[in-house]
Amino acid sequence: MPKTFLIDTSRCTACRGCQIACKEWKDFPAVHTKQTGTHQNPPDLGPYNYKLIRFKEYKMKDRVEWLFFPEQCRHCHAPGCKEGADAILPGAIIKDEATGAVLYTDLTKKFTPKQAEDVRAMCPYNIPRWSKDEGKLTKCDMCFDRITNGNVPACVKTCCTGCMNFGERDAMLRLAQERLDKVKKTYPKAQLLDPDDVSVIFLVTESRKLYHDFAERKEQPKTQYADMNRQEFLTAMTKPFKNLLG
Amino acid sequence: MSVSRRGFIKLLGAGTACLGLSRLGLDVRPALAYSTQMKTAGAKEVVSTCPYCSCGCNIIMFVKNGKFISSEGDPDYPVSEGSLCAKGAAFRALHINEHRIVKPLYRAPGATDWVEKDWGFMLSSIAKRMKDTRDRDFVTQNAKGQAVNRLDTVMHLGSALMDNEECAVTVQMLRALGVYQIDHQARV
Amino acid sequence: MTQHWIDIKNSNAILIMGSNAAEHHPISFKWVLRAKDMGAKVIHVDPKFSRTSARSDHHVPLRSGTDIAFLGGMLRYILEKNLYFKEYVTEYTNASFILGADYDFKDGLFSGYDPVTRVYDRKKWDFVKDENGVSKRDKTLKDPRCVFQVMKKHYDRYTLDLVSQVTGVSKKNLLLVYDTFGATGKPDRAGTMMYALGWTQHTVGTQNIRLAAMIQLLLGNIGVAGGGINALRGEPNVQGSTDHAVLWDILPGYIPAPLATQATLADYNKSIMPKTSDPMSINWKANQPKYAVSLFKGWFGEAATPANDYGYAWTPKVEPGEQYASMFMFDRLYKKQIKGAFILGHNPAQSMPNSHKIRKSLQNLDWLVMGEVHLTETTDFWRGPGVDPKKINTEVFLLPCCHRGEKDGTTTNSGRWIMWHHKGIEPMGQSKSMGQIEVEIFHAVRDLYKKDGGVFPEPILNLDLDRVYDAEKTARKINGWFTRDAEVNGRKFKKGDQVPSFAFLTDDGSTNSLCWIYTGSYPEAGKNLSKRRDHTQTPMQAKLGLFPNFSFAWPVNRRIIYNRASVDVNGKPFNPDLPVVLWDGSQWVGDVVDGGGPPMALKGGKYPFIMHTEGHAQLFGPGRVDGPLPEHYEPAETPLAKNPFGKQMSNPAIRWIASDMDKFAKNADPLYPIVLTTYSLTEHWCGGSDSRNTKVLLEAEPQQYIEMSHELAKEKGIKNGDVVEVESIRGKTQAVAMVTVRVVPFKIMGKTVHLVGMPFAFGWTTPGVGDATNRLTPTVGDPNTYIPEYKASLVNIRKAAKVTELER
Repeated sequence: MPKTFLIDTSRCTACRGCQIACKEWKDFPAVHTKQTGTHQNPPDLGPYNYKLIRFKEYKMKDRVEWLFFPEQCRHCHAPGCKEGADAILPGAIIKDEATGAVLYTDLTKKFTPKQAEDVRAMCPYNIPRWSKDEGKLTKCDMCFDRITNGNVPACVKTCCTGCMNFGERDAMLRLAQERLDKVKKTYPKAQLLDPDDVSVIFLVTESRKLYHDFAERKEQPKTQYADMNRQEFLTAMTKPFKNLLG
Repeated sequence: MSVSRRGFIKLLGAGTACLGLSRLGLDVRPALAYSTQMKTAGAKEVVSTCPYCSCGCNIIMFVKNGKFISSEGDPDYPVSEGSLCAKGAAFRALHINEHRIVKPLYRAPGATDWVEKDWGFMLSSIAKRMKDTRDRDFVTQNAKGQAVNRLDTVMHLGSALMDNEECAVTVQMLRALGVYQIDHQARV
Repeated sequence: MTQHWIDIKNSNAILIMGSNAAEHHPISFKWVLRAKDMGAKVIHVDPKFSRTSARSDHHVPLRSGTDIAFLGGMLRYILEKNLYFKEYVTEYTNASFILGADYDFKDGLFSGYDPVTRVYDRKKWDFVKDENGVSKRDKTLKDPRCVFQVMKKHYDRYTLDLVSQVTGVSKKNLLLVYDTFGATGKPDRAGTMMYALGWTQHTVGTQNIRLAAMIQLLLGNIGVAGGGINALRGEPNVQGSTDHAVLWDILPGYIPAPLATQATLADYNKSIMPKTSDPMSINWKANQPKYAVSLFKGWFGEAATPANDYGYAWTPKVEPGEQYASMFMFDRLYKKQIKGAFILGHNPAQSMPNSHKIRKSLQNLDWLVMGEVHLTETTDFWRGPGVDPKKINTEVFLLPCCHRGEKDGTTTNSGRWIMWHHKGIEPMGQSKSMGQIEVEIFHAVRDLYKKDGGVFPEPILNLDLDRVYDAEKTARKINGWFTRDAEVNGRKFKKGDQVPSFAFLTDDGSTNSLCWIYTGSYPEAGKNLSKRRDHTQTPMQAKLGLFPNFSFAWPVNRRIIYNRASVDVNGKPFNPDLPVVLWDGSQWVGDVVDGGGPPMALKGGKYPFIMHTEGHAQLFGPGRVDGPLPEHYEPAETPLAKNPFGKQMSNPAIRWIASDMDKFAKNADPLYPIVLTTYSLTEHWCGGSDSRNTKVLLEAEPQQYIEMSHELAKEKGIKNGDVVEVESIRGKTQAVAMVTVRVVPFKIMGKTVHLVGMPFAFGWTTPGVGDATNRLTPTVGDPNTYIPEYKASLVNIRKAAKVTELER
C-alpha cells in the first residue's frame, strides 16, 4: 500500500518547523535571502528548499485570512515529470511503487539545462528545481531514507499541530474525509486538492486559487510548447535523448 | 535511557524500494542517490532540551563517534510528542556553527580588535580586576551605620540561558562576593 | 503557569492576550488546537493579526497599552450580567473582606499617595479586623465596604462606550469576547488565559496580569482543569533562572532579599514570616525562615553556624525602597557609579530599551567579563556603529561558552517541570559551561584572597563551592540534604540523606537547600526525578493529561497549582467530568493537593490559597506598589492628550529615570504620532544572537521589517518592500516596510491612531540585517517589576532617503 500525506492547512501555524527540518535532515546549506515585504522566505522552492511555507493574506468581508501553504512535491500517481523524463532518459526520474515516492536520480545530471526545463514544465504544480551547484534536477523525495526505515518524513515528524500527516493511503484518505467534514462547518469552501491524483493531499479552507499560482493543477505544459498537444510535446522531448544515446 | 518511542509511526512493510527499472533495459541502480540507510543509523541517542522557549521540548541528539549527526524532537516528551518548531528543528545547526566563539578572546583598552588568549591569562586577570575593585569599593556600612557588606560598583547580568544548577552556583558565588546588582532576562 | 502546557486542552475558552503563542511558543498550539477540536473557542486579542490570530476563532485588534481598559470592561460586564461563580468568589477570594475607612479612590489615585516620593502608604488599604485579628467578612457581599462592592464601584466607569473609545475595539468585538469568556463562569466550564511579554512589558504590566487573574477568580477558573493564568515564559530557562533568583530583589525560591534595616537573622526572619490569626489559613510563607536558613547553610556549609547567624551577615544587604533592576543599573553605569561587569548569556546592547544609552553606558566600564556563544552587540560594543575603539578604555574578557547539548543539567519549562538534559557532545573548542566558568572565576578570586588577604574575606573563604562544577551534585544540593543526623516531623534522617520534601527543611542548620521550591526533585541518593520519563498515570490523571511521573514539577510535583480551589468546600470537584483533585472521604486523590489537610468544611479544613496570609485569593490586592485595584493609565508615551479614565495620565508609582539620554515624547506629540509595539517572531529569539547566527533561521527571516497598515502606508507614500526610516525622540532605525491587512488603524477618542510593529531580533553584528529596534524604545517600566515598556512608545516613519542599514 503506497503512502500518502495529508496536509491539513486548517491546522498550520506557519511555524516553519517543516521548512527547517527538511533542510536539516538533508544537510542543505542556507541560501541568501532578503526581506521584501513578506514573511515568505526564501521566495520560492529551490535546490536547497524542498519544503516552503507560502504566505498569502486577504481582507475578507468581516475578517482577515492569512493562508499558509506548506508547499512540496505532490508525488503524483502519474507524475508528469517522470513522463517527460522517460522520454529523454528513462530512469532519470523513477517512481517507487511500494511507497508512491517520485524520485529524481543522479541521472538527471545528464539532462541539458533545456531538457531539465522541459521536464520541469511537465509538472502541473511547478515543483522541480534545477540545482546549479550539482547540475541536476531536485525536489522532495518523501524522505525516502526515513520512510523505508520505519520513520515518517522529517517535515511530518516535526509538525507541531497535526497539519502534516503521513501514513498508509487508506488511513490518510479516511483522515482527510474526517477532517474535511469537520473543517467545512467553519469553512464552507474547504476542499481536498486533487486527492485522486496525488500522494500529497492538501486540505485547504478557501478557494484554491487564493493560495498561490500552482495550488491549482496546471495540466498543460506552460513553456514554448504550450501550443502543442501532449503527444507532440513528448515527441519533441525525445529527440535530444536519441541524440544522447547516439 | 529507556524510551518507548510511542510517537513514531511504524511503517512496517514499507520495505526497500523496488525500482523496477530493469524492464527498461537500463541499469541505473548505481546512479541512484537513494540510500536506504539513514544518516542516523548506529548513532547514539542522547536526550537534550531545546534552548529557546519555555515549552521545553526534549530533543534527541544523534551522536556518532563524538560527532553530532542530527537532531529531532523526542516523541516521549508528552508536551511536544516529538514535534519541533523552526528554531527547535535547527538545534544541530545552532551547535555546529562557524559563528561560535571557541577560544577566549581579549580586548585591551583602546584596542581595535580581539586577541586570542589562554584560559589561565583570562582567569587570573579577571580575578585581579575583581579583587582590586572589591577591595577598593566594598562597603561594610551604609550612611546610617547599618551593616550592608556589599559591593556597589560591580554588576552581573545573565542568564536565562543557564541551567538551574548554573544559576544556583552563580547566585551563591555572587552574593558571597558582595555582588547584589544581579539581573537577567526575567526583566526583558 | 498555574497549569501546564497539556492542560490547555481541557479548556472551554482560551483567551490569548499579550501573547503571540503560535509564533513564540509554537508547541502550545498543539494543545490550543486540541481544545478547539473539542469545541473550545479561541480568541486572540492583540494589536496585530499574527500566526496566532490565523488559527484562532476570532482576532480582536486593540491599541497597545489599553489591556486594563479592555479587561476592566470585561470585569464590569461579568458582574453586571451575573456571570461570576458565586460560591467560588464568596468562599475562596477576598470578595467578602471589609475595607477600612482609609481606603479611597479619587481622580485616578488611591488613598495614601505621596506625590513627592510617588509612593503609596499601603497601610491605607488594610482590611478591618475582628477582635481576634482575623479579617472581617460579609459573605452576602452586600456591605458597601466589602471588596466585592468596592470593586464593582471601581469598574463602574469601564463602560462599553468608554472602553471601546480608549482601546479602539468595536463594541461588537468587546461583547463577543466578554460573552465568550464570561460563559466559563459556570462550575463545569473552564477558561484559560495565555499571556507573555505583551502584558508584562508595560508601565502597568503587573496590573494587567492582576486584572486578568481577578477575572479568572470571578469566573472560578483558577486551580481547575483547563483554567488558569498562564505566563508563557520566554527565554529557555527563564522560569528556572527566576526560581533560582538571578535577580537583585529575591533569594532563591522567591524569598525577599535582605535589607540594610535587617541587622540580624532574627530581624530578617521576622520580616519574611507573615502571621495570621485565622486557624484555617495555612499561611505557607510562615515557613520561609526554614528555607532561608537552609539556603545559607547550602551556601556556607560547615562555616554556617548558629553563632554567626548561618552566614547571614556575610550576604549583602540592599537599601529599602532603592531599585537595582537592569534599567537602574545601567543608569548608574551611565553615571559612572559602576566599574566592572559580568555579562553572561545576555545581550543588553540589543535587548534593553534605549540602546543608545545602554551602548554609551558600557563605555564607562573599566572592565567587562562576558560569557557568550557568539559575538553580540554587547561583546563588541567598543566597535559598534559610530564608535571609535581607540577611545574606549574598557578591558573586555570574552569567555567562550558551550551550548545546551554540550552539558548536563536541568531547565524548567513554563509548566514548572524540571527536566534533565544529557550532554551529547564535548564543548566546541575551548568553550565551557557557564556553570564551570562562574565557578572558575570565583576560585581564581578566592585563591587571591587566600594568598594576599583582602577586604571582608570571610564569605569568600567560607563559601561551600567545589572547584569543579558538577551539575548532578548541584542538583542534589538544590534539593538539599541533611547536614547532620536529625529528626524532623517524627522522621529520623542520617547525615547526608536527601531531604524528601520542603516540609522537612529546618531553621536549625540540620538541612541545606539551594532552592526550597525544588526540594523533592532529588529526594533520595540516586533518585534524580528530573530524569524521569515514565508515562504511568491513573485513569483520572490520564484524562487530564497530568503525567505526574514524567520529570518533576515544583512545588512537590504539583501539576496544577491552587488545585484546592477546583473543589467545593466538601472536596467535591466543581467539574465532576475533569477532577484535578477530589476528597475520597479519607484522602485526596488526583494531583498533589495544595497544602494538605482536609477540605474546608471538614474539621481541620484549610483555605485553598495557601501562599496568601489570609488564605484567600486577592481580588483586592494590597501588596502592589501602584494600587490594590488595576486602573487604566496611559503608557509613558501616549497618542492621547488626556487619560479618558481620570486625571492621572500615567502610572503614578513609576520611578522615572532622569538623564540627558532619557527623553520622552510629549502626550499626543505631533512629531511622533504613531504607536510602536515591538515583538519577536518564530524564527528568531529575543535579541536574536543565537538565531541570527543560525543560517537556516536567518534564511527564513533575514532582515528588519516594520509591519504597518495599508492606510498608514498610503498616507506616508510607502510601498510594500520600501526601506523606511523609523524615528522616536531617542533614535532612528531602518526597516523594510511590510504593508499588510493584518495591521489596522484604530479609532481612539474620535481620532485615528496608527500603530506599527517591529521585531527586535536584528542587530549590527550580523551584517546587513539591520540594527536594534530598541534604539527607539524608552527606559521606563512597571513600578512593581521594572520590566521596561517595550510594547507601547511613539514614533514617526518616512520612506528612507538612503538605505544605510539593510544592504544585504
